[in-house]
Amino acid sequence: MSTARLVVSELRLLARDPFTLTFVLAFPVVTMLIIGGAFGSQPDEVFPVDPTQWYVAAYLTVVIAATGLVMLPVHIAAYRERGVLRRLTASGFSRWSFAVAELVVGLVAVAVGGVVLLAVALPVYGVPAVEDPLRVVGALLAASVAFVALGVLLGTLLPSARAAQAVGLLLFFPSFLLGGGGPPPAAMSSALQRVAEWLPLGVANQAIRDPWLGLGEAGPQLLATALLAVVALGLAARRSTL
Amino acid sequence: MDITRPPRPSPDDDASTDQVVRVRGLRKSYGDRVVVDDVDLDVHRGEVLGIIGTNGAGKTTTVEILQGLRRADAGEVRVLGLDPARDADRLRPLLGSQLQSSRLPDRMRVDEALHLFSGPRADGGETLLDRFGLAHRRGSAFGSMSGGEQQRLFLVLALLNRPRLVVLDELTQGLDPAARREVWAAVSRLRSDGTTVLLVTHELAEAEALCDRVVAMRDGRVLDAGTPAELVDRHAGRAEITFTLPAGRPAEQLAEVRALPGVQQVRRTGDRLAVEGERAAIAHVGRWLVGAGRVPADLRVVVPDLESALLGLLGGVERTAA
Repeated sequence: MSTARLVVSELRLLARDPFTLTFVLAFPVVTMLIIGGAFGSQPDEVFPVDPTQWYVAAYLTVVIAATGLVMLPVHIAAYRERGVLRRLTASGFSRWSFAVAELVVGLVAVAVGGVVLLAVALPVYGVPAVEDPLRVVGALLAASVAFVALGVLLGTLLPSARAAQAVGLLLFFPSFLLGGGGPPPAAMSSALQRVAEWLPLGVANQAIRDPWLGLGEAGPQLLATALLAVVALGLAARRSTL
Repeated sequence: MDITRPPRPSPDDDASTDQVVRVRGLRKSYGDRVVVDDVDLDVHRGEVLGIIGTNGAGKTTTVEILQGLRRADAGEVRVLGLDPARDADRLRPLLGSQLQSSRLPDRMRVDEALHLFSGPRADGGETLLDRFGLAHRRGSAFGSMSGGEQQRLFLVLALLNRPRLVVLDELTQGLDPAARREVWAAVSRLRSDGTTVLLVTHELAEAEALCDRVVAMRDGRVLDAGTPAELVDRHAGRAEITFTLPAGRPAEQLAEVRALPGVQQVRRTGDRLAVEGERAAIAHVGRWLVGAGRVPADLRVVVPDLESALLGLLGGVERTAA
């Protein structure tokens, strides 16, 4: 029951503090509107589909990355800095209850950010039809859990909100530029293409985008994302001795 | 000054049913730096025990080990008969903790904090809010409360689950004198109720105002422990009484004062006398002055107290306005 109380409390505080969600809500929407409108709406040698549709599908991963690599680490590290985590521990909250609460918070943030992104995209660029809903939902779920768990892990490892912000942004921007939010792989040098292929966000992006836009099943990418989710989840639950 | 280490309690103490905390030979290091070095500690049911020392004395590390927030390198630790390192999940619901430098999220409201931290043993949260003068702040956000109100809320949360031991670490740090008085009054009420309290402080006046027994620490070691009266007897300077001699025969008067019980030294400068001795000497000199027929207008008495005892013992401990 203490975990349920903590989940409710964290969700209430999330709703009450608009600044916590600002980056997750604003950054993907603004950059999607800019990048999505920069390459027209016709497929060409670097975009296998309408570029606007390519980016609408890709930017859901940016919401996930913004939540997992920036919002959660800063939020949790701020709790550590203020002694909130020690207070929870001293008050008898079980070792994994905080991790569960933050996972729920992260997943809710991803869901809200995703809905806002699609709601803005719909009247501007339209939302592409989902070709393989089962794989897309599975990939979205695996990617969300993986990056939210990574966020919990980073937040419990980093000593301060400032450190979490620095490390989080350092991880986020290369992932964002190479893993889905920047140029398509065909426009990159072969070296950058290799990096993008191995970036966790790039892998997750392909697992979501390809079955969504009918570009392929991306089975290995889905499997790798699911594996990352399991490993990150295990590490986050283990770390949350606070 | 004679600094004596208290004798180690005998093994029979283990059988004592009113022992809430028992620590023997506790050690903790961070890298090469030893922060707790062979510490013994006992807390008995219903007492307010103060751990006092300068910053870096090892006080907070000691109580964090007692709460299962840190692991000891060596030593025996029992809190309510449990090992905090192994039985933390069983122990924590029995403890009420106010932690040093610990806050709540600014936007969390008082009633929400009460709900969040209510365990299965929770009882009387609303009554506690009333009792600590926070009933009117029930709907207030933590960040909007004054420092004194925040500390009183931490006291409410520490007591919420009917703890068998309350640990208060630097309870009044950063508070102004008025807020400090508020919080002291709250802790005094705990003592009246018979709650067992372990109070960590570096403020002498706080230890003197609140504690039944005091453990003085420096550089990770226990320097001495005892009731305030015992520490005063062992470490405080002498009582000092100064006054102008009543008119009459100075040589005889000097001899009479020297002969009073408890008087250890008498110095005469002109017609002024400075008498040093045990605290009992204050009463005897006073009686002698009344008997001499005139209480001098310039009578000045310095009474040895816990603050002066600990100041001498620890050196450099913060002296606060009471």
